Amino acid sequence: MKRFLHIFALVMACLFALVPIFWMISTSFKTNREATQDGTILPSSPTFASYTSLFTRREFGHYFANALIVTTGAVAIALVIGSLSAYALARFRLKFGLQRHLAFVLLIARMLPTVILIVPVYVLAQKLGVLDTRLVLIVIYAAFDVSLVVWMMDSFFAEIPVDLEEAAMVDGDSRLTAFRRIVLPLAAPGLVATAIFAVIVTYNEFLFALLLTSTPDAQTMPVGVATLMGRINIDWGAMAAAGVLGALPIIIFAMLVQRHLVRGLTLGAVK
Amino acid sequence: MADVAAERTRPIERVRGAGLEKVLPYLFLAPALLLVLAVIAYPMIRGFQISTQFYRFGRPLRSVGLDNYREALDDKVFRAAVWTTIRYVFFAVLFETLLGLVLAMLCVRELPFIRAVRLVLIIPMIVTPVIVGLVFRLLYASDVGLLTIISHNLGGGDVGLLSKEGSAFWAIVLLDVWEWTPLMFLILLAGLQSMPQEPFEAAKVDGASGWRTFLDHTLPLLKPVLAVAIVLRTLDAFTTFDQIYVLTQGGPGTSTQLVAYYGYDSFFRFQRYGFAAAMLIMCALVLLAFSAMAVRMLRRMDR
Repeated sequence: MKRFLHIFALVMACLFALVPIFWMISTSFKTNREATQDGTILPSSPTFASYTSLFTRREFGHYFANALIVTTGAVAIALVIGSLSAYALARFRLKFGLQRHLAFVLLIARMLPTVILIVPVYVLAQKLGVLDTRLVLIVIYAAFDVSLVVWMMDSFFAEIPVDLEEAAMVDGDSRLTAFRRIVLPLAAPGLVATAIFAVIVTYNEFLFALLLTSTPDAQTMPVGVATLMGRINIDWGAMAAAGVLGALPIIIFAMLVQRHLVRGLTLGAVK
Repeated sequence: MADVAAERTRPIERVRGAGLEKVLPYLFLAPALLLVLAVIAYPMIRGFQISTQFYRFGRPLRSVGLDNYREALDDKVFRAAVWTTIRYVFFAVLFETLLGLVLAMLCVRELPFIRAVRLVLIIPMIVTPVIVGLVFRLLYASDVGLLTIISHNLGGGDVGLLSKEGSAFWAIVLLDVWEWTPLMFLILLAGLQSMPQEPFEAAKVDGASGWRTFLDHTLPLLKPVLAVAIVLRTLDAFTTFDQIYVLTQGGPGTSTQLVAYYGYDSFFRFQRYGFAAAMLIMCALVLLAFSAMAVRMLRRMDR
């Protein structure tokens, strides 16, 4: 009986998580008439019309390409320069207590609610003439992600025994080679966890993308979907289809990395 | 063993590239530091500057000292937004903590399919927040919404949660609970999984009830993790923006206007640069003070 209740509770929880998403998918396959008037749960004759209308009339391809470029670019930059910094913080003793100061700066950068930056970042981007470019988004997201990468990677590097690299260096490796040959492979699980978290956060970012871009040349998926929602207010099928397509890349990504997903999300949140 | 010890005491200068070794850490640190300074620290300073100026048509006209701050503090809409945000955060985090704790307790034991269940339960936090807003628009809409359709099937009328001030507030709280309970669940699950087993085995031998064991052992051991989770969620929920932007735009009236949304609106729609900057800086300072306090509290708990 107890076991039955236990399983029942878990099934209810899964339903609670899935039903809203199911409803979006179901609505995306209905005609607008059916959605607004018939009150059906499942589409009576599923149609792809909403999807084809999105692809033929609107700029979905652009949104997707921009999101892909911006996310990959920002996360790649953040991973490279962030791991280098984390390595330096974990392995070297710096002068003037620099270690503590740097850790503090990065902690502030991590805890700072980014919304306070909207006014100055917009003003500066306008002055530099980089509004509505993918570049400005890449740079800003890389900066947001880098403090995250340093925090997460710092503890991973600290766990790797120092002896291993020193042995390699005694055998004639330079510091850089030792880092590449010995440390990075050992830190790979950490890098994977960090990358997963960074990709999800970056792909999903909306506020700065909304603020800094204005055309499909640079708008990312979340902004694209929000723009469409404003424009197609009552075309429920198309709106639902836009939601499905917009969520799909990150859901597919999550499925691909599902073995590491739980760890990545937990560490990313707590660090 | 002796060999290893000898290796370890060997002076580092003997290693190839020892001159480089001195500057290397600084070279490693420089790019990340420059990026953070350029994109976060410098704009922050500019933000303070902007908050002391009066802007018109996107240009600074004159310096006004702290007038923008005074104006924000006197602004009824801002005060209402702060109050709404506090209530929103309180209720959302409260429900998320309770639900997340229950779910974590249910998922910590090994059952068939438990891994799949865990994955399903975290889907909501992965979905893009803007699209979560869209999902809930489709649920809440008074014509096509699932809630309305269920109500019709039960013989009721239209359900339009977003059209009344009272229910709109709870509608966005429910959205937050749906989206972020998974995060609470994940953090607490990790906490439960890393707990020592001995107290629980001892309690079992003593014949303590499940409820007693939970109160006497689980909860005290979980307290630090619980605190971290609550602090993180509180900070995040305080700056909720995306979902409000696509779902309610702060309405009806100002019933779902949270501070981040009001800040954005004042800046982008009403072009009140200095005013918006001052408002957001004040909120950020309060949040930073809160985090500093929380960090200190957590350190004390660790000891």
